[in-house]
Amino acid sequence: MPTSESNPLEHSGTLLESHKGYDPRVISFYFALAVLLLILTGGLAYQQLFKTETYHERERVQSQRRVLVPGPRGNIYARDGVTVLVGNRPRFSVVLYLDELKSEFLSEARIIKKNYGKSDMPEAALREMPFSRMSRVSVVQRYLDEVNTIIGRSEKVDAASLARHFGDQLLLPYKLIDDLTGPEYARLIEGLPVRSPLQVYTSSTRHYPFGSGAAHALGFVRVNEELNVEDFPGEDLATFKMKGTIGKDGLEKTFDSQLQGEAGGTIFRVDPAGYKVNPPLEKRLPLQGKNLVSSLDIDLQLAAEQTIGDQIGAAVAIDVTTGEVLTLVSKPDYNLTDFSPRVSNATYAAIQAQGGEFNRALSGLYPPGSTYKILTSIAALRRGAITPDAPIIDCDGFLQKFNHRFVCYNGLGHHHNVLLREAIAESCDLYFNEAGWLTKPEGLAEEARRFHFDRRTGIELPGETRGMLVPDNAWKERAKNAKWFPGDTANMSMGQGFVLVTPLQMACFTASVARGEVFTQPTLIHQPNRPRQKSESIGLTPEQRAALIEGMEACTLPPRGTARNLTTVEIQRVPGVRIAGKTGTAQVSTKAGMINIAWFICFAPVENPEIAIAVALEGDTPGEEFGGGRNAGPVASAILKKYFEKKNRAATSPFQPAKGQ
Amino acid sequence: MPFRRFATHQPFATLGFVVVAWLFVPVGLKSFARASFFELTAPVTVAADYARGLQEYWSLRLHSNHELIVAGRDLARINASYEFAVQQNAELQAGLERLESLLRLPTYNNYRLEHARVARRDFSGWWQRIVLRKGKNFGLTAGSPVVFSGGVVGRVTEVYATTAVVELISSPNVRLAGIVEGENHVMSYQGGINPTFGPPMGIVELVPLDTFASASAPKRLVTSGFGGVFPPGLTIGSVTKVELSTDGLFKTGEVKLDERLGSLTEVTVLVPLTPE
Repeated sequence: MPTSESNPLEHSGTLLESHKGYDPRVISFYFALAVLLLILTGGLAYQQLFKTETYHERERVQSQRRVLVPGPRGNIYARDGVTVLVGNRPRFSVVLYLDELKSEFLSEARIIKKNYGKSDMPEAALREMPFSRMSRVSVVQRYLDEVNTIIGRSEKVDAASLARHFGDQLLLPYKLIDDLTGPEYARLIEGLPVRSPLQVYTSSTRHYPFGSGAAHALGFVRVNEELNVEDFPGEDLATFKMKGTIGKDGLEKTFDSQLQGEAGGTIFRVDPAGYKVNPPLEKRLPLQGKNLVSSLDIDLQLAAEQTIGDQIGAAVAIDVTTGEVLTLVSKPDYNLTDFSPRVSNATYAAIQAQGGEFNRALSGLYPPGSTYKILTSIAALRRGAITPDAPIIDCDGFLQKFNHRFVCYNGLGHHHNVLLREAIAESCDLYFNEAGWLTKPEGLAEEARRFHFDRRTGIELPGETRGMLVPDNAWKERAKNAKWFPGDTANMSMGQGFVLVTPLQMACFTASVARGEVFTQPTLIHQPNRPRQKSESIGLTPEQRAALIEGMEACTLPPRGTARNLTTVEIQRVPGVRIAGKTGTAQVSTKAGMINIAWFICFAPVENPEIAIAVALEGDTPGEEFGGGRNAGPVASAILKKYFEKKNRAATSPFQPAKGQ
Repeated sequence: MPFRRFATHQPFATLGFVVVAWLFVPVGLKSFARASFFELTAPVTVAADYARGLQEYWSLRLHSNHELIVAGRDLARINASYEFAVQQNAELQAGLERLESLLRLPTYNNYRLEHARVARRDFSGWWQRIVLRKGKNFGLTAGSPVVFSGGVVGRVTEVYATTAVVELISSPNVRLAGIVEGENHVMSYQGGINPTFGPPMGIVELVPLDTFASASAPKRLVTSGFGGVFPPGLTIGSVTKVELSTDGLFKTGEVKLDERLGSLTEVTVLVPLTPE
């Protein structure tokens, strides 16, 4: 081996660093490295092979958006099936699809940034409105100016609402101008390029052709944020919902599920900034809800509303055979158009202040006054307390009994030995006081319950009161902690005191009496061939029933009928129609003092009853007597006149309405 | 060998290079190139049309004198009926102007009529347009309505020095505010997706629910005049089918257009006198 001095290369073997090809001490590091690589590879394989679905799902949720659009509500028709009481009207607006303007926003932001770079813009101002926001306002205003030029307006962009929309509802069109007029919409159809982010957008809003007509029966809708679409994929995706509506009162509320349209939906793919990048992945068109044919006759309804005018009260007319409600009026009311698309706070406050929201027809509780004497008569006749042809009292205006003086407010001493027919026709209070005493309070209450005066009618409207009251001994002890007195019976026999009913109940009662039964189920839904209603018989002999009906008919006839105006006053007369009715005037205590309730119930024609009516009006007419015949009678007269006018017109018309209408 | 292989693929590589390069060309330059190309080819188009015109002229020269006399007589009769219609129209127009003046209503746009010959027709799934043999040299402006004896032809979309491109109403890119003759509810008409050799069709939306039409009882769809572009009363087509739209608010329908749109030779451009 050469020495290091003689041959430097010989030193290389010792001076140069060398590695062993294999060192047992290093093997542990190899092992550790291999384990680490194995873990890494295993981890990657696990992520790639076994968690593919999870990541795919995450990517899907992150990159897809769902837009839900409500379906238009169904229409509500009058009973003729043709007249639209509540429909939808198109609402044209011009919208801008912001999600198609990504490049324009970016380009505009660059320009603004460049321009502001040359100026001394304060930091605070930039924080207030950054370049990106400025660019959006600028671009949107440019599009709005295009619209302004076409339709001759000078609208400005609301920066705050644009920012809100951009942040929360980017995929939904941004409304630039709402509720365009016809000419504006026509100009935009021709003026806007077809392929433009600006589009004329048609949405639907509730339309009420009759304004306040039948407002309480039809009801109104409010904006509904909750919008769901059945069997449409993507429930886990970020969802943008356009606002729908939900019924809040009347038929709109009761039949909301039927009227509610079927929502449509679209699923888009979006980029990381939320802009739409492709045509929709899924799309389903919205569908209109089902239509509803109500039982209301809008002509009768308007006639009643017009006659009641500014008075406070209610009127209900019912088809005697089917129980279908022809008219349901409650005054004051409100204009349904004010609720479409949304009611302002001021308008709503004004409606509430005048009590327009309160549906007096089914929630207004009133003592029925003398109209209740029909029930007293039936109760007394059925129990043998009275007979049609035997007098029970000599009415000379007052009666001293039970240490109390009872007064007949009707006729004042002219009734004398009245029989049932005259007592009903002239509304003799003392006759019915006596009939009540003979029948006993339990008998009166039992009869009232038989006619369902103690429960709700079950009409398909929300808010029917449960406060109706048929008082009796037990009730007074329980509620007032007092005994039942003969005076209570006297009051009850003529619909005063504790008895409380609604106008709808009285209309049902009248229809039941007209049919000779005890209950009429009212309904607001029209069925063309609805069968005749049938309930328990009224339980009177033919003679008894004849006397009752004759008394009611005499009520509308001269010389002494309390509702004789219906036949003696030309304007109230219903030619060729025999009417059976009963007036009533009750007193109630209110915060403003005592007020009268003028009642009138009737049915017609007497020989074959078709329509039954109940009218109740609150208030007093200064300087005049306020009563059923004078004030409530004309409302019933207006309804009857319109009803028979239409009937006669249909009978003589060569174009016959469809059967059942 | 590799060089020979490249030489084989050179055309494709060049094409690929040009396509990639074109992608990076600024938009302004592209638009300029497109317009320049159109201007460059316009004389060829016009010349070809002149040649076709000459061909038609000589083919017409082959007709006998008898045929010409019959045609002249028929033309005289048609002219007589048109003269009558023109007089009636003038009277109606005077009446309209008087009423507009009395009611202080804004008058419709006034137009200058510019008759133009069709130099080229493009009908395909992509294009529904014609090229006119007049352009800026006759004062045509983009957006002007174009009509013919059968009603609306379309709108001028591009105007060049000696030619102009008209988008036909059969194109989905054209939208009008129309009304059914005799009614006053404005509907939206838009060209449909028309196959190359199929009859031209369009679609109409926002049709009122009480409007009914079928192939056996079609309704004439005319321009409303409310859109501000087309004067009222020009025939768009016939509504041959309507059906309830899904929103229940309106109906949608099909509009059969005049089949002569595919063989137009002469049209009239309504150049607004007061362009907006």
